[in-house]
Formats: sequence, C-alpha cells, structure tokens
Amino acid sequence: MLELRHVSCRYYDRFVLKDINVRIEDGDLVGVIGPNGSGKTTLIRAVTRAIKLAEGEVLLKGKPLGMFGFKELAQQVAVVGRLYDLDVQMKVEDLVLLGRIPHKRGLQLMERRSDMDIARRAMELTGTLSLKDRFVDSLSSGERQLAFIARSLAQEPELLLLDEPTSHLDITHQARVLDLVRKLNRDKGLTVLVVLHDLNLASQYCDRLFLLGDGALRKDGTPDEVLAYQTIEEVYHTPVVVMKNPVSSRPCVFLVPEDAIAGVK
Amino acid sequence: MKIIVLLASLLVAGMFPAHAAAGPADAAGLSPRRIISLGPTITEKLYLLGAQDRLVGVTTYCERPPEARAKEKVGNVTQVNMEKIVELKPDLVVATSLTERRAVLGLKRLGIRVIVFNEPRSYEEMNRQFLELGRIVGREREAEGIVRAAERRVDVIKKRVRGLPRPKVFIQLGAKPSFAATKDSFVNDFIELAGGTNIAREAKTGFYNREEVVRQDPDIIIIVLMGAATGNEKKGWQKFHALRAVRNDKIFIMDPYRMCSPTPRTFVDALEEMVKALHPGA
Amino acid sequence: MENRLFKWLFTLLVLIMILLAVSAFSLSLGPAGMHPGTIARLILGGVGTATDYTILFDIRLPRILLGFAVGGSLSLAGVLLQAMFRNPLVEPYTLGISGGAALGVALGTIFGLTGLLGAYSLPVFGFLGASCVILFLSIGINRSVLNLQGLLLTGVMISFISSSAVLLIMSVSRIEDLHGILFWIIGSLGETDWLPVKLALVAAFSGLIVAYLFCFDLNALSLGEEDALHLGVNVERTKRVLLLLASLLTGLSVSLAGAIGFVGLVVPHFVSMFAGTDHRILLASSFVSGAIFLIFCDAVAKSVAQPVELPVGVVTGLVGGVLFIYAMMRRANTVRGK
Repeated sequence: MLELRHVSCRYYDRFVLKDINVRIEDGDLVGVIGPNGSGKTTLIRAVTRAIKLAEGEVLLKGKPLGMFGFKELAQQVAVVGRLYDLDVQMKVEDLVLLGRIPHKRGLQLMERRSDMDIARRAMELTGTLSLKDRFVDSLSSGERQLAFIARSLAQEPELLLLDEPTSHLDITHQARVLDLVRKLNRDKGLTVLVVLHDLNLASQYCDRLFLLGDGALRKDGTPDEVLAYQTIEEVYHTPVVVMKNPVSSRPCVFLVPEDAIAGVK
Repeated sequence: MKIIVLLASLLVAGMFPAHAAAGPADAAGLSPRRIISLGPTITEKLYLLGAQDRLVGVTTYCERPPEARAKEKVGNVTQVNMEKIVELKPDLVVATSLTERRAVLGLKRLGIRVIVFNEPRSYEEMNRQFLELGRIVGREREAEGIVRAAERRVDVIKKRVRGLPRPKVFIQLGAKPSFAATKDSFVNDFIELAGGTNIAREAKTGFYNREEVVRQDPDIIIIVLMGAATGNEKKGWQKFHALRAVRNDKIFIMDPYRMCSPTPRTFVDALEEMVKALHPGA
Repeated sequence: MENRLFKWLFTLLVLIMILLAVSAFSLSLGPAGMHPGTIARLILGGVGTATDYTILFDIRLPRILLGFAVGGSLSLAGVLLQAMFRNPLVEPYTLGISGGAALGVALGTIFGLTGLLGAYSLPVFGFLGASCVILFLSIGINRSVLNLQGLLLTGVMISFISSSAVLLIMSVSRIEDLHGILFWIIGSLGETDWLPVKLALVAAFSGLIVAYLFCFDLNALSLGEEDALHLGVNVERTKRVLLLLASLLTGLSVSLAGAIGFVGLVVPHFVSMFAGTDHRILLASSFVSGAIFLIFCDAVAKSVAQPVELPVGVVTGLVGGVLFIYAMMRRANTVRGK
C-alpha cells in the first residue's frame, strides 16, 4: 500500500527525517511513536504532500506520490490532523459532507443522494449521527475527534492517517476512538497509520510500530520487538520498566520516577 | 424598446437647437436663452453684462450680487448635480477649471453646450475672457463698453503712479502653507499696475517661505485670505518687529473676492484700493 | 438535502427582490423629483418628456447599474479574501490596491496627463496604479508557497505608503488638481458614460462565475490550508487564482468609482450571519447584498443634501461601520451564549 524509500525531509537546514525506509501492507494498523521532535508529524506530512521531500520518494500502491492528482490522492488517503482552526460555524453534518469534496464531479453544485448516504453511514460508524445538527465548536474534544474521523470516512479512503488523535482526550474517549480505528481496520480492511504519543495505547492497538528517534527510524516491528526497555531508554533517554499486560499480553511501559530508583537502590 | 428610443430621440432632437450637440463651436445665431453658471465669478460677470434674467442656475457659492442667491442651485464649485442641470433645460453651461471633469464630459455627451473658462493668468486675459463671455451670451456691446471703461480707469491710475517710487509688496494668498502670487497669476498684475514690485514675482511656485519674506523685507504686506484666519495672520506678522512693513504699520487686509475672482469692474475697484495702500499721497 | 437547496434559493430570491426594490427606489430619487407613476409610464409605455427620459436613462440608470456592479464586485472580493485569510478585518482595500489606484490618479494628475485619454484618463491611471500593486503582490504570490500573512502585512504597508505619497502630491499641487484628486479618492458612482458601466458589469458577472468554480475549495479552506490539502484541494493554485480575481475586481471598481470602503468588509460578515457560511450560498448572497448596500448608500448620498451630493464613500463608511459593530457584537454574544 504505502512505501517510503530513503525519505528525508528538512526545515531550512535542519533534517527532521533522515533516510526513512518503511513498507506498509494493505490492512496493516501501524503506530508511529517517538519522543517530541522525532519527526512523527513530519512523516505524516511527507505522505500527504504537505511538505516537499529533500530526498527519496513515497509510493502509494506502487505509484510515486507526485503522480497523483490532488483529488485523486484525497480519494485514497484521508487524514485526521492534530489542530483545527475552528473559527467557522459549521454543523457536524456539513463537516462530514466536506469529505465528499474529492468525489465531486465536474460542475456539480449540490450533494447527491449517494453523498448523503455515505455521510450518514460514516456518522453511524463513529457514533456521531445524533450530533449531526450540532455546531462543531460546541462538541467536546472527544465528540469532535469522532466527527473528524467521520469526515475522513466519508472520503472512502483506503489509507487513513491519524496524527495524535488521543492527546487531549479522557480515557473513555481514548478507548472509543482507538476501538473505532481498530474496528475499521479489522472489519473494513482500512489500512491505518496512526501517530501516538502514548506508548501503551500504541502497544495495545497497533500490530506494528515504527519507533522514530531524532528523525531516524530506530526500530520497525511488532510491539514486543520494539518496546524492549533498552530500546526505549536509548531513544527516550529516561529509565523505564516493561512488563506484559495481564489481559492482552501486550508489552506495557512503566515510567520510573527518580525517587523510586533511589528506593530500589 | 426601440420605439421608445426612436420617439425619445425625435423629442430630444426637437428640443435642442441643431448645433448644440457638438460643443462650444456654434454657428452665429441665437444667443443662449437659458444659462447655467458653475462659478461665482461667472455669475457675477453675467450680472455685470446684464444677462441675469437668462440665468437659470448657479452654484451654492454664487453670492455676489446678493440677488444671485435667489436663483436655482445646481451644485457647488466642484461637484454639480447633473440631473438638476438637465431638468433646467439649459442651452449653455459655463464651467470653470474647478468643475468636475466627468460632469463636463457627461453634459457634453448629453448634447448640452458647455464652455469652460480657465483661471485667467493676467489682467489682459481676464478682459479677453470677459469679452468672450459677452460675445457668447450676445452682450458683446455691453462687454466692450465695460472693458473700455475699466481700461480708461486703469490708464488714469497708471498715469497717477508713473514716476513714483515702486514699493516692494508681498501679497499673501494662503496662510498654512504660506502662498504668494507669482508672475503667472493675475494678482501679480494688481501690484504692477498699482506701481509696486511683487517680491514673489520670479518665484518658481506659489509656496513662499515666511523666512524669505523676512529676508526680502517688503515695504508693504497685503493679506488676502478667506475667512477668520485673516485677523490671526495680521497679528502673526506684527510680531516680526524687524520688518519695515510692521514698523511703518503697512499691513493691509483686502477683500479676497475682489482680489481673486474679479470682474473687469471690481478689478479696477480693488486696484484703486491697492494704489491707496501703496501710494498714500497720490 | 433538498430543503437546504430550497432554503438557499429562497434566500437568494428574497435578496433579488430587495435589490429590485432598492433600485426602483433609487431610480425615483433625485432633484428632478420624478413621481413613480411617471417613471412607470416612461419605462412601460414609452410615454414621457425627453428631459425625463434623459434623466432616467442617461443619468440615474447608469449610476444604479454601476452601483450594482461595484457593490457586487467588492463584496465578492471581500468573501474571497476573508475565506483565504480567515481574518475578519480583511477587505479588498487591505491589500493596498485602492492605495495604489489613488497614487496612480494623483501621479497622473500632477504630471498633467489628464488630457491624454479624455474622460478615461483618471480611471486608466487608477487601474494602472492598482495593477502595479497587484504586480508587486504577485511577485510574492509566485513563490512556491504563498504566505498569506506576509502578503497582508505587505498590503497594509503599501496602503500607508500610498496615502502618504498621495498627501504629499496633494500638498504641492494646484487647486484644480487638488480638487480633482480629492474627489476622485472620495468616490462617486455618477457615471454617464455607458462604456465603463458595461465593463464593470461584465467584470462583476465574470468574477462571480469564476468564483463559483471554486466554491467547494473555499468551503474546504475554512478549516485551514493544510486541511484543505487533505481534502484534495490544489491549495496553491486556488490561492493564486482567487487572490488575482479579488485584486482585479477591486482594482477595476476603485478605478471606476474611487475609494468606496467598507462594502467588502461588512457585507460578507453580515450575510454569513443569516445565510450561513457555506460558500455556495455566500458568494451569490454577498454579491447581491453588496449591490443592495451600495445602491442604497448611493441613494442616501445623492438625496440627503440636495443639490449637493455627499461622497458615497462617506455613507458606506458610516452605515457600514455601524452595521459592522452590530455584527461583531452579535457574534460575540452568540459565542458567549454557547
């Protein structure tokens, strides 16, 4: 589905991504983790063409990214970004309908029946149908996130990119959002690339992880492979303990405060 | 729609004399019966020529003579109301160089005869314009008579001041910034004919620095300003004790209307007043 | 959603009816004081005096049509700019285009070139001045990523520089020139030549059509440029085209009617309050509303102090300013209320 070959990106003269080589197959649910400033968001932006590559290329379904038209790309790839400028008063339904823009034909001015149906189904899947007439800026962060996911689904993409979708959410909504993402991946076959800052959420929900450190890919593998305590300490420069989650058997990363170490010693 | 246009054009053609469509050039023939003046000086001149009963429209600034105030107003000196003018059905509109150009062209396009008089730059030009106006409104004889009478009076004055010493004069036309009359303005002619010397004669622009005035130290200062600024201005000059004009109390205030927008007759009136100021004994 | 389409068409219909009413009202106003009955008979039956005909069709009608074109163009430009900059204080004049036009006129006047093209001299100079600014801005536009905020600042600076330059020129010019420049800047819709009016109408309608080709892009832009990119919008091309369109519409309007401010600022805000923010309705509604607003202000300007005409820019400033404050307060209250 998606391949990055020797991808490097930079802002002015500082390289924020260095020689990234990864492959994502159809149906994968991949998490991107790493410390702040390690290039996670930049990676997303490289795939969406929001930033120009200094080196290397990105291939979507075997075709170089540069060969996709704007609308064409938006029909394949949908993005749920981090920050949104919510100056404008918009209803949830209108927001979701924006996702149909890449599918507009010629001089079509109003939405077709099919557009409305697709939007409706997207809202059903995300549990936001009841909110459809509410203004987006009146929703809670969690509801808002679900609405944006609904919009992405309305694009009918094959690849979904999410940039830290759970950063500012309570655990209820963290679970709801990630459960939804997992369901979409399992039931609908949606390929997902999600940037997460919470290592444990990444561990629980993703089949594969890319660990970035200082712009480089430090590890690419399953959560068990990637979340070894030495690897994490190397990249995050902080002591941790890794143990298995008693219910799911996925690795869990525990932060170790300074004074606790002193106690152990 | 075509019928309306056709009917209307027939009506329009019937209303206006055949030669009015083009502009100022007209065949010798009827003198205008309905005149609109777009400048106070023009209004004054029309009254002087005795053509006032044919005057159907004036500006809001046309106050001389006082009877002019009773006439229909069509706008101010720069902006005119086209509708009002058309409604008054004039066969001649006399405009000034201050009149909005778009209006002048618009009126011409509507088939109304418009004549524009620019600011005269000398006494002779002023008289020429007056004669031209007289010819256009069919009062040529009266115009010639007035101009001749004025010139006779001017000759008398010229004789009176011949041989007399020519005092240096500064005429102030503007306060902030200070503005004087150069040789391109007919105000300059006032000074020359009254037997004086204009210190600002050769200046390149009218903007005349106060410092320069002090340096030139004129014998006489004449203030010609509109409105309340005049009194303050005189007090302002009187502070310069070093000036000859201040010491000899030769600072005069004169009527801006007569000085700046004169008719041949008022020109001579103002000229006589100026001679009194320059040559008290003559 | 069919009923949304109906709602929009209904809004548009109401606006068009208001437009016709205001136009008819303005058509009957004037020092010549024509009775509506007279007008009706003239238009429908072709019966009336030649003077009335001239006044109606050669003086009042072109004025109203110019008001329609300029009001529509400026509001349209306002919608486009506010969508792109997402800044409520942006209006067509913020980019410095009207400043450039005024400077063009001032320079042309002071160099004595006003005789060159007769009646068209001042508008042409104005447009040349506006074009210089647009050209200057497009140098900034043609960099690979268009930085809108930088453009905004540049525009504001251009405005300041132009006004200073114009004041300088005015201070050294002769009285006749001074008046000419000043009154051109203040603005007037009093045009009796059909050529500029037709030009303005063609430009206004063309602009509206082109804008509609981008109505979805405009909707997508409301959540940010990067987000619009995610939705498949060619953001750079859209910004360039719309900026150019807004500039041309503004430049033309300013050249023909002088500096008439506030129309592009106030109308989009006001219209979005009752028509919503979807550009499919906002573009046309703002266009028509802008026309209504300007024709109305012009009607006030020409009748309040007869026979002298108030500068229409003064009326739009006063009325527009009050409306703007009202709109901002309403918006603040709604936000607080939520």
